Amino acid sequence: MMRPLIVPGIIAAFSVVIIYLALQLKLSPPMIVGHSMQPRSFPIFLMVINLVLVGILAWDCMRNPPKPIKLEGMTTWISISLFAAFYVLTTYADFFIAIAVVMFLLCTSWGEKRYHIAALVSVTVPLTLFLLFDEVLKIRFPRGLITNWYYG
Amino acid sequence: MLEAITAMASVIGDPYLLMLIAVTTVLGIVIGVLPGLGATTGAALLLPFTLTMSPVNAIAVLATLYVSATFAGSITAILINTPGTSAAAATTFDGFPLAQRGEAGRALGIAVVSSTIGGIFSIIVLCLAAPLLARVAYEFRPPEYFALTVFGLSMLASIGAGGAVKNLIGGIFGVWLATIGAERVTSIERFMFGNYELYEGLSFVPVMIGLFAISELLVQSKHAHRVADMVTLKAVKLPTREDYRKIWKTIARSSGIGTFIGILPAEGATVASMIGYSEARRWSKNREEFGKGSVEGIAGAEAANNAATGGAMVPTMVLGIPGSGTTAIILVGLMVHGLRPGPYLFTEQIGTVYQIFGSMLVANVIFLAMGLYAAKLFARISLVPTAILWPIVFALSVIGAYALSASLLDVWIALIFGVVGFFARRHGFSVAPIAVGLILGHMVEVNLQNSLKMFDGAWWMILTQPLALLFLILAFLGLFGSQIVKLITGGGKAAD
Repeated sequence: MMRPLIVPGIIAAFSVVIIYLALQLKLSPPMIVGHSMQPRSFPIFLMVINLVLVGILAWDCMRNPPKPIKLEGMTTWISISLFAAFYVLTTYADFFIAIAVVMFLLCTSWGEKRYHIAALVSVTVPLTLFLLFDEVLKIRFPRGLITNWYYG
Repeated sequence: MLEAITAMASVIGDPYLLMLIAVTTVLGIVIGVLPGLGATTGAALLLPFTLTMSPVNAIAVLATLYVSATFAGSITAILINTPGTSAAAATTFDGFPLAQRGEAGRALGIAVVSSTIGGIFSIIVLCLAAPLLARVAYEFRPPEYFALTVFGLSMLASIGAGGAVKNLIGGIFGVWLATIGAERVTSIERFMFGNYELYEGLSFVPVMIGLFAISELLVQSKHAHRVADMVTLKAVKLPTREDYRKIWKTIARSSGIGTFIGILPAEGATVASMIGYSEARRWSKNREEFGKGSVEGIAGAEAANNAATGGAMVPTMVLGIPGSGTTAIILVGLMVHGLRPGPYLFTEQIGTVYQIFGSMLVANVIFLAMGLYAAKLFARISLVPTAILWPIVFALSVIGAYALSASLLDVWIALIFGVVGFFARRHGFSVAPIAVGLILGHMVEVNLQNSLKMFDGAWWMILTQPLALLFLILAFLGLFGSQIVKLITGGGKAAD
């Protein structure tokens, strides 16, 4: 019964939290704002409209309940988990090591059985992109194990 | 006018720019034939590579990619019944049945020629209409701009795949994202949670990469083990005289429809191709052939979807209101390169503007040649295993997100928006309204603030400005027009 209302409920809760946070914002002196809006007014205005729209969405969901959505397959969850692993590896090892490792694991978890191909792609693509951005576009990448060695 | 023609012609005299356009056309076709990638994702991934280019070259590259990827979606639509881009969905209705009958070369030939004619027609209209519209927009003041952006936001109701309410919720979420950072007048920090890297607000580029590229990666993970069957293609054939006799009216009609739909804020190539296809069917003497391999069906869809690309550039460049995800990224490209979208672009940077238009024209000619002579080769690219392709997209996304500001925060933002975008799409919300809302958010707030200052806080004075009132009425009709018609005529009749 309540299942169709989960998404509208989450959006409504988000809107209420934003209104609460907006109400905590400082007020600007009238001599600066003049006849215009306070910085908090516009986000509150947006979220009030959002709440009205969520009401319409909830009403619509009650009248025509959406089809239940199948739970994601393992590949999707593994991919999302690899994003988290990417954060950890970038923070504690190196940006490019993280990209190579995540690329390899993505390749294999998505069904690539030729591990040598997956490994080759995972090494050559980040390496090529690194050289392109560093040498041609002159962009410095964050310090890590490899970049420390490369930049000296 | 002479200045415009000279600027457009200068594209041909610039070998470096010509080379860039040729390379990007190839890249655009490759991106377009890869199912799932498409013009928007491609533009998001390509944007960081344009950072060191001159503004003209950078925008020419993005516009060329837009044009060529939109066309290329038809190659896989015809050969493997999988549209490379959503704009080519209508092409599958007749393209694939014709290919199954052993006439893949003929189907592709008709698609290429129709796309080229549609594209060139829309660029001619763009060259003529944009300066005229700019002259009108030149007179706009904050109330008119505020009302125009409200109109643009109201049109979000019809952008993308979600329903009207879901699209508007997405658009409002996008506008709210634009409020993150220090408020411009008072410098009061909003929703930064102590992170001073957000002082200037969210960067557009990582958000775009996250919403379009990374969320698509997660969507494609559901089809990780898919294998496509490809129809055999011997050679692409130019349409015969008999074909031309059958399709010329359809191409002319669809070119007009596509250009007009493209000009409407928040309407795009997908809607244009569907309407182009249905109009081709409505006016055809051989309706029974539709769905079974009609050449008019292919021409109707293809001329319209490519014509929409030129049309969509009109509101993007003249008013700063993007009509789709791809034009939203082109708009970001304009801003990143220091060009101010809007009517002033046509007075301050007229040469630049016409060079960009000229590049789009050249791109259409190049993809005609590529489509005719290299479609067979490009079609094979669509068979690249998804397990190899999407990890490459991941690498391009995270490095691209980092490149603009050399900030790891942007990489995390891209990943977060990728996951948010994925779950939004999973529940029927389109991500394009979020992107457009983010871009228009600043414009709508600043113009509302300035309007209130103009009228000493009397907001209702906005309604006394004729043009502003017109835009607001259009926005109202756009949102509630169909409900009003239903109320007047009765629900049942309207449904009929």
